[in-house]
Amino acid sequence: MIADKLSLLVLDATEVKYDARGFHVQHTASPNILPQIADAFLSENFHLEMITCQDRRENDNAFRLIYQFNQYGTPQRHVIHADIVPDTAAPSIATIFPAADWYEREIFDMYGVTFDGHPDLKRILMEEDYFGHPLLKDFVDPPNPYRSEDGAS
Amino acid sequence: MNSRFEVEQDPKNRDTYYLNMGPQHPSTHGVMRIKLHLDGERIISAEPIIGYGHRAHEKMAENRDYIQFLPNPSRVDYLGGMIYNVGYCQAVERAMDIEVPERAEYIRIICNELNRISSHLLWLGTFLMDLGAFTPFLYAFDDREKILDILDRITGSRLTYCYARFGGVILDIDDIFLDNVSNFCTYFVERLKEYEKLVIGNVIFRERTIGVGIFAPDLVQKYAITGPCLRAMGYAHDVRKDEPYGIYDRFDFDVPTQTEGDCFARTLVRMEEMRQCIRIVEQAVSDMPGGLFLAARVPRRIRPPEGDYYFCVESPRGNFGMYIASDGSDIPFRLKLRTPSFSHISTMPAVMAGTMLADAVAILGSIDIVVPEIDR
Repeated sequence: MIADKLSLLVLDATEVKYDARGFHVQHTASPNILPQIADAFLSENFHLEMITCQDRRENDNAFRLIYQFNQYGTPQRHVIHADIVPDTAAPSIATIFPAADWYEREIFDMYGVTFDGHPDLKRILMEEDYFGHPLLKDFVDPPNPYRSEDGAS
Repeated sequence: MNSRFEVEQDPKNRDTYYLNMGPQHPSTHGVMRIKLHLDGERIISAEPIIGYGHRAHEKMAENRDYIQFLPNPSRVDYLGGMIYNVGYCQAVERAMDIEVPERAEYIRIICNELNRISSHLLWLGTFLMDLGAFTPFLYAFDDREKILDILDRITGSRLTYCYARFGGVILDIDDIFLDNVSNFCTYFVERLKEYEKLVIGNVIFRERTIGVGIFAPDLVQKYAITGPCLRAMGYAHDVRKDEPYGIYDRFDFDVPTQTEGDCFARTLVRMEEMRQCIRIVEQAVSDMPGGLFLAARVPRRIRPPEGDYYFCVESPRGNFGMYIASDGSDIPFRLKLRTPSFSHISTMPAVMAGTMLADAVAILGSIDIVVPEIDR
């Protein structure tokens, strides 16, 4: 059972109300055990639905990585929250779940969070020579030289 | 790597070369590039390069409130716009516990399923055109126009709908709309048989698709494949059945599956899905209740309670999920769009390796990607 395997790994697991929230169990984990967690989900026939990130530097001085695993058939969504300190790398799970490859590239592109052990960590949505990470809360859009002062294009 | 050169020689091995399929290739159906490493016509490796149509919908969500974000979801996937628009409303409604009147739920079901048929029709036409058949394209667009006319009459738009509101829909339907829909249903059931005669039995089509682009069974779990691509591999997984949202649990419909997992199986699944859509629409039309089309008491300020929410719907391409992190204010703290095309296109290196260049076109067409949905 996935619950037994996870109980050895994660810090705490909270059951949430599926009818209101859309997922079943929320876990908090330290980032360095993410590969073991991914292994546990892989062996229990779960798939990686998505990885995303939150810029929580103002509240908690951390980036929160959010991993969501689910299984086909009866939904059983597990959400893993892993907070990492800015300017540190999180371990990559792209070798375990290839789907993570692009999600991790997207997070690197949008937040500047790096992943150790990723096969080819580079920008995915923005162009290669782009200067910033757009989804950071303090990101400032550069002035558009093609737009006039009053905002009309 | 200089992308301006269409063909370039690999200095280590003079026999192989790189070819950029895209960004303006017709069979990518949008601005996307696939960098193919070729040996003659055999693909050694393929690398999709995306982001040409990135419009930062997720950043936009963090800069405007929930109501102002209403027009955006249908722009994410412009072929299944109604389903995305309704899905976003349902996500916020569930987070805030807003009641939706019965009539609005039925209207949403009809619009959703008509939109799914129109998306599948466009896919059918363009997929076959990629394979060299021009006639089905004209047939499919003819029928698609009929759906767009029906939806245009009540929503005012033909492609990027913004019809659903928190607590219902913006305008009520009338009897003419219901007549149009039931007329279309009777017409389209007959028409589907014609499509099957025209397409499924065609020798060239079968040669181009049977056994081509097979998804290996282990890809399913590793890449989280969903939608018709998954059902073509024998999994009867459909969000409408497994975790019914709205009132989908009241309708009687089947989840079509095939086992081969090749381009041909994906075609059969989508053809049968259109028939099931018609079944749902017919039931919804006959059960259409009266009453309100928009809830009378919708909170003036849309502020979901603090916390994370995930809501997923069955889009024409697969499992579309919205992750909303609310901090209790008017503006989402984070809104992540989990789109099926993004997952499917990331399997391309694994699926395309070892196939022929002409098969790459068939594979890309058969998984039904929408590029703005990949780039968001």
